[in-house]
Amino acid sequence: MSENSKPIGRRDLLKDGLRGGCLIGLGLVAGSAAHKNRKVDMVWQIDPYTCASCGNCATYCVLEDSAVKVVQLYEICAYCDFCPGYFEPEAELEPGAENELCPTGAITRKFIEEPYYEYTIDEALCIGCAKCVKGCAAFGNGSLFLQVRHDRCLNCNECAIAAACPSGAFKRVPADEPYLLKRADHS
Amino acid sequence: MKRRKIDVNILVGLLVAAAVVVGIVSVVKLDVAGNRGSGLGKEFTYDIAKLAHVDPNLIVYEESAEPISTGFTAAKAIAISAEGSVYVAGDGSVRKFAASGALLDEINLGQTPGCLAVAADGTIFVGLRDHVETYDAQGQPLSSWRSLGPGSILTSIAVSPEDVFVADAGNRLVFRCDRQGNVVAQIGAKDAARNAPGFVIPSGYFDLAVSADGLLRVVNPGKLRVDAYTFDGYFEFSWGHRSVEIDGFCGCCNPVNIAVLPDGGFVTCEKGLVRVKIYDSQGEFESVVASPAQLVRDGDVRVCDLPEECQAGGFDVAVDNTGRIFVLDTIKNVVRTFTRTKGR
Repeated sequence: MSENSKPIGRRDLLKDGLRGGCLIGLGLVAGSAAHKNRKVDMVWQIDPYTCASCGNCATYCVLEDSAVKVVQLYEICAYCDFCPGYFEPEAELEPGAENELCPTGAITRKFIEEPYYEYTIDEALCIGCAKCVKGCAAFGNGSLFLQVRHDRCLNCNECAIAAACPSGAFKRVPADEPYLLKRADHS
Repeated sequence: MKRRKIDVNILVGLLVAAAVVVGIVSVVKLDVAGNRGSGLGKEFTYDIAKLAHVDPNLIVYEESAEPISTGFTAAKAIAISAEGSVYVAGDGSVRKFAASGALLDEINLGQTPGCLAVAADGTIFVGLRDHVETYDAQGQPLSSWRSLGPGSILTSIAVSPEDVFVADAGNRLVFRCDRQGNVVAQIGAKDAARNAPGFVIPSGYFDLAVSADGLLRVVNPGKLRVDAYTFDGYFEFSWGHRSVEIDGFCGCCNPVNIAVLPDGGFVTCEKGLVRVKIYDSQGEFESVVASPAQLVRDGDVRVCDLPEECQAGGFDVAVDNTGRIFVLDTIKNVVRTFTRTKGR
């Protein structure tokens, strides 16, 4: 043992420990702040619980064909024979343009088993007018609702639909959770 | 030439006043409901308000008392006892009201009730999600029946002198039970031997009632009709058809609730177009109790925004011994009383 190596006293140990603890605490605070302030990519989405189905999504989007489309939540859908989102309320129970609610024919009806039918949105035809959303909400379970489709949305800084949305349903959401779906547990 | 000085305080005051006026005008002119429209053509507009119109000559009932405020945030079911007390189930309890609207008693359940019935002897049957609990006329617990299964969603109870019928929307079945809660039979499964076509239940509405003719009436909402069954589960006949016209049932799944009148006729409630109507004992349309204009704000068709609101659009109905009709408004959570004023 060399003569310079002095034994560490209790006071020095406490001092050094305190300094080390402070440094660790400072590091934690700095790390936490950095974590909170990290850049999160945000995208536009429609809150289906606030959406008034006004039709603005079809006309205010800067794209020629709106980035907003109707989605079908199958857990809520009742697969009705007479779907109020598919048929005009006074219509006969037969597919055909004169009986169908959608002006662009964007909903397909497929027989599953008596008396159940599956209704699917053809997004290439859907313009996001929300006519079917209103029909489904008025008479059915509300399984049809609008969502911004991120394969189409340009994610404008100032979204034209958000500015025109009368119910404030457009929200910025994290890009890693880009959809706001209805809950399926109500039915 | 002497320049006039402008008082800075006046200038600031004017600017503030102008800002306030602009703010008020902006708020007042804000189109929060989207009424100004999207610029889409008429073919893109969903307008069924015209279908809500009902010929006033068909309305033979009038609201005869102040609405009873239930105090619930989510009222679910209504029943009338033999002595005329009004029982309403909602939130986590059952409340008993006098016909005047005075709160007489409350039974705390600890769970959300789905349906309710009161027997002639005063026994109260409460349907929770998967089982039935019974209480005496004073609100003291009598029994808690066994669960009818993990998938059960109990939506209606009807009581005859010897049997209790429980509608289970989850299993699309009616359970016939004895007064102790033992399942005696299942009614309504597809069964060619009993001529039973099966029930189509698109949402959580599946009502039933015991009729004076000794048959069970069960709503088959997905088929937009009311089915008649014997207590042994034999399908006898049905009535009702799909139509937005006043004699039919509208939308995908109606009626949502029914009740039996003292003369053997039926009261029906619809959702979508919120209509309460009378059918005779053979199922022929007779008259209207209340139209959407009387039951829903501004007479508009109910268009819900929340799934819970969509589900709340189905009003419940009960009838007392004198034929007065009590409609449970599950949107405003009040009970409306209707008395016949014409046609008798």
